[in-house]
Amino acid sequence: MTDPAIAQEFEPRRKSTVGFKAVMRTLFRQKLSIIALIIIVFLFGLAVFAPLVAPYPPEEPDFYNVLKGPSAKHWLGTDDLGRDLLSRVIYGARVSMTVGMACTIFSLMLGTFLGLLAGFRGGLTDQVIMRLVDMIMIFPGLIFVLVLAAALGPGMINIIIAITLFGWVGVARLVRGQVLAVREAPYVEAAKAVGASHWRTMFKHVFPNCTAPLIVAAALGLGGAVGMETGAAFLGIGVQPPTPSWGRELRTGFTYLTTTPLFSIAPGALITLAILSFVLLGDGLRDALDPRLRGIMKKR
Amino acid sequence: MRRYILVRIIHSLLLLVGVVIITFIMVRLLPGDPIRAAMQQNVDIGDDNIVKEVRARYGLDQPVHVQFYIWLTDFLKGNWGTSLTSGDKVTSMFWRRLPVTLELFVLATFWAWILGIPLGIISALKRNTWLDFFITGGSVLGIAIPVFWEAIILIYIFAVILKIMPPSGYVPFFEDPVKNLHCVLMPTFVMGTQAAGGLARYIRSSLLEVLGQDFIRTARAKGLGEKVVIFRHATKPAMIPVVTIVGMSWAGILGGAFIIELMFAIPGLGRMGLDAIFTRDFPIIQAMLVVISLNVLIANLLTDIAYGYLDPRIRVQK
Repeated sequence: MTDPAIAQEFEPRRKSTVGFKAVMRTLFRQKLSIIALIIIVFLFGLAVFAPLVAPYPPEEPDFYNVLKGPSAKHWLGTDDLGRDLLSRVIYGARVSMTVGMACTIFSLMLGTFLGLLAGFRGGLTDQVIMRLVDMIMIFPGLIFVLVLAAALGPGMINIIIAITLFGWVGVARLVRGQVLAVREAPYVEAAKAVGASHWRTMFKHVFPNCTAPLIVAAALGLGGAVGMETGAAFLGIGVQPPTPSWGRELRTGFTYLTTTPLFSIAPGALITLAILSFVLLGDGLRDALDPRLRGIMKKR
Repeated sequence: MRRYILVRIIHSLLLLVGVVIITFIMVRLLPGDPIRAAMQQNVDIGDDNIVKEVRARYGLDQPVHVQFYIWLTDFLKGNWGTSLTSGDKVTSMFWRRLPVTLELFVLATFWAWILGIPLGIISALKRNTWLDFFITGGSVLGIAIPVFWEAIILIYIFAVILKIMPPSGYVPFFEDPVKNLHCVLMPTFVMGTQAAGGLARYIRSSLLEVLGQDFIRTARAKGLGEKVVIFRHATKPAMIPVVTIVGMSWAGILGGAFIIELMFAIPGLGRMGLDAIFTRDFPIIQAMLVVISLNVLIANLLTDIAYGYLDPRIRVQK
């Protein structure tokens, strides 16, 4: 009697379980991740094509139609200055999506670099970087971002800097862990043996092994960054009026909750939808990128 | 075990020193002149001599490292300075507001546990049924939903439409316990949601992993009832990784207090901290950051100790 695992090894495979195609195939098998991906693409589309999609200019007040409920002219109603809510919500996607993307990209860059450095160099470099990581991790994210953004002043660039200075921490820890796992692997040793430089070994041989968890971290990080940006905007820190942003919209709308509930509920729904989609996509990617899970997915 | 705990304590103390230095630097980075801002209401700020005098009184004319030394020694002595905006002692402001936030914090943790733990166990036991999908979906939503939106939805449903909950406000517990609980029911639920979702998800996967192991099969094979297998054999090892999540969720709950206290008009530490950030009230921001990080550090330390206590492998290793 042969071991079923071994028997499977020798069975000719029709479809490969490694590589980009396999990952995409597993990802597409999970309906939720696909829905999440479609929503994300839709939100980015809103952000990019806002001037084409929005029925009104977002900053144009109309003092004769203040705080009106939904109507055929204004689908979601108007805000406290008579501006069209639908247009403002559509334009609001710009700020949140830009900040989310920028923070995630910068966090990944900074975190990957410092994580590689810490894991690869070890010793004092490792100690300094990782103790800094530990210290920043002590603070609740939102409070850290609030104080830092208040220190830097209002504006989109500053909120991006503040969130990035918090976001790189998790990435660095992740990358360092991966590096430690492969640092002594034979192929890294081989690279060193043939005389590859430190940087070359780090980026060409060690880094590719971190990409899978990094992609997952990117999706989850996008959700986290959008959550923090809107949270900070809700508290009045970040992008300033009259630029439409979901968090600010929600804050103003909260005051008028009893009269025009859609004023705060609509932007909040989009924020939740965005974060939810990023989390679901992250989950889906995690399952799709983990080769151990790929076989199991079929059986379920 | 004693050595393990000692190492953890020393580690935490070192971190605390680093965190205190970071917060001090962060707070000094805040732009604007707090003295001028504070004096704007009542004193003629055109007079530079007065400004100078007030600045000297708060020690703000000294170089930064001297300021740090003065602040640290005062802080350790229990003298946390006076608020730049109200002129009250920071310590007394803290003591007045601490019970409020503490109550929110305890009740939010209570919500997180009472929802997260049973839901996680149920969805693991009923794996791949509609109940499991429902709970798993609910916990993802709980993780993703921002506290401010959840609060708005709940306020709208329960306070505006149904009118069975107060939309905001706070009554001290010792004044009227029933009214107090009525007031904090919604805010603490919102604060606990995210942690509850994370907890349910984590317990589900952890319990599923344990249930697939050999000793569970052995327990079943020797004829033990399903209840005994799950509650006596499976739950304890499944809870070990969960302890970490419980410790980590504390920081998140604390962060949520900032938004929640503002939305529900609750006079707690979060509200005070938020006001301080906007008015650049140095002494309060500083004290708040130190207290928060101390709180999280202690939570992490307790988590580590509990972890070592529950999992003998960790104790022996280090």
